[in-house]
Amino acid sequence: MARILHMAALVALAIVVAFPVYWMIVMAMTPLGFSRQITTIIPTNLTFDNFASLVVERPMLRWLWNSTLVATLASGISLVIGLSCGYALSRLNFRGSYIVLVLVLASQMIPSTSILVPLYALFKDLGLLNTIQGVVIGHISLVLPLAIWMSKGFFDSLPEELEGAARLDGCSRLGALWFVAMPLVTPGLAAIFVYGFVTSWNDFLFPRHFVQSENLWTAAAGLTSFRGEYFTLFEPQMAASIIFALPVVVLFFFLQRRMVSGSLTGGVK
Amino acid sequence: MADLKIAGAPKRSLLASVRENLTDGPGFLWLMMTPPLLLLALVVGLPVAKAVMLSFDRVVLTRPKLAGDFTFHNYIRLFTDIDAWLAVLRSCLYMSGTVFGSIVLGLAAALLTRRIVRFRGLWRSIFILPWTMPAIVAAMVWGVMYDSNFGILNQLLRMLPFVDANVEWLLNKSIVLPALIVVQVWNEFPVAYIFFLAALHAIPEELYEAASVDGASPFQQFLFVTLPQIKYVLAVIVVLLLIFGFRAFPVIYLLTGGRTETLTVATFNAAFRAYDFSYAATLGVLAMFVSLALVLIYLHLTLRRGKADAAS
Repeated sequence: MARILHMAALVALAIVVAFPVYWMIVMAMTPLGFSRQITTIIPTNLTFDNFASLVVERPMLRWLWNSTLVATLASGISLVIGLSCGYALSRLNFRGSYIVLVLVLASQMIPSTSILVPLYALFKDLGLLNTIQGVVIGHISLVLPLAIWMSKGFFDSLPEELEGAARLDGCSRLGALWFVAMPLVTPGLAAIFVYGFVTSWNDFLFPRHFVQSENLWTAAAGLTSFRGEYFTLFEPQMAASIIFALPVVVLFFFLQRRMVSGSLTGGVK
Repeated sequence: MADLKIAGAPKRSLLASVRENLTDGPGFLWLMMTPPLLLLALVVGLPVAKAVMLSFDRVVLTRPKLAGDFTFHNYIRLFTDIDAWLAVLRSCLYMSGTVFGSIVLGLAAALLTRRIVRFRGLWRSIFILPWTMPAIVAAMVWGVMYDSNFGILNQLLRMLPFVDANVEWLLNKSIVLPALIVVQVWNEFPVAYIFFLAALHAIPEELYEAASVDGASPFQQFLFVTLPQIKYVLAVIVVLLLIFGFRAFPVIYLLTGGRTETLTVATFNAAFRAYDFSYAATLGVLAMFVSLALVLIYLHLTLRRGKADAAS
């Protein structure tokens, strides 16, 4: 009896949790204009037209390309530069390391609206509004603290003795980092890169407000413009949402184990 | 490498000694820390400094003549601005609501799946799925479901016997905040779920055996065995989710178009609706202080317990 109740509760909870995703897929595959007439939970006539029209009627491909570019740059730069800081925070017990730790984590936790406003004012003075570079710089401010914090976590999980042994054999500190620690954290680095990539990919605030011309928008910025325009047209909104979320979901499940442990050490989404 | 060092020792050139200092000596710390800290200063430090400067100025795009003087105007305004404090209150409600909801849901899901053997991966994937959804997608999907005329939620409600009017989920002022909280909880409860699941798996099974030998009911087992064991993880999740809730912007902004003002939305509106960048920066500075306080609590909690627990 207890077992049946347990299973029933589990199935019910899973259905409630999964329903919005299911509904998004159903809506996206409903012929344009018909979603209002849906009276059953199980759909009957499905179509891929909404996906096709995204590409034809909107610069969706262009936006996806911009997103890929911005996210790759923002995450790549942050990872390459931030890594050494994570290593130093993990291995070198220097004075002021706690302050650096607080600063890094605080920069990561600042609401992005608090950064958006002064950054907008700065970019206006510097002529960086309406450029892809501006968006990349904005996203580095979101991703760099994350890269530092997460790489510290991955180095923390490596036993220090390995580098100690290399140093006894005459390896320099830099050599120990490069030849011993780095190869061991490479899978972790992939996770950090993906995390940064996803953070940048998901953000609509910076691209939407730094950039006016639709051609330079990222997919996130383009997607949010749908809600204003087609307030009542559900189908294109949902089709675009799926296209936008799909790469992120795939990446997450692909790297699931590492993402989970990385997020625990990084303590962030 | 060892040979090189010894061979080079007697007649070391300046370049070589600088190099050794950087790669192996006290300079190594500088080599490691300088580039990242410089970049951090550029992308975070500079905007923060600019925000502070703006907050002591009056940069209003619609009235350019006001700018240029040092003034406390914005801070005085902040302390007397009822709307700003209402926004802070709404942020607090939003934070508590999302934390409570996520913890209840995350713990329920973790307790239900902890001993499941069949389709284990499937259940986990289902409960992690909402977290993989970008916040803006969560907002879009729920926006469609919340639609007052054609949304599925109202359609389902109307099937109930005594309901005939549509619920204005996002327009009714007394429902909108809980409605937004539901979306945020759906999106972020998996974080709590993952933490709880890990913590539950770390509890030795013997404790439960001992408890059931002593005749403890499942509820008593939860109260006296499970809860004390996950206390620490619970504290970490609470602070983490408080931070998420405080930062939340996309869900609230996209679903209400900025009509429901939490502190983050108020910051945005001040800048991009009223074009008062100085006041927006002031609200932003207030938000920074709140997040700094939360970060200090978080670090205090996690650093004291050490690395092992945080990663478990």
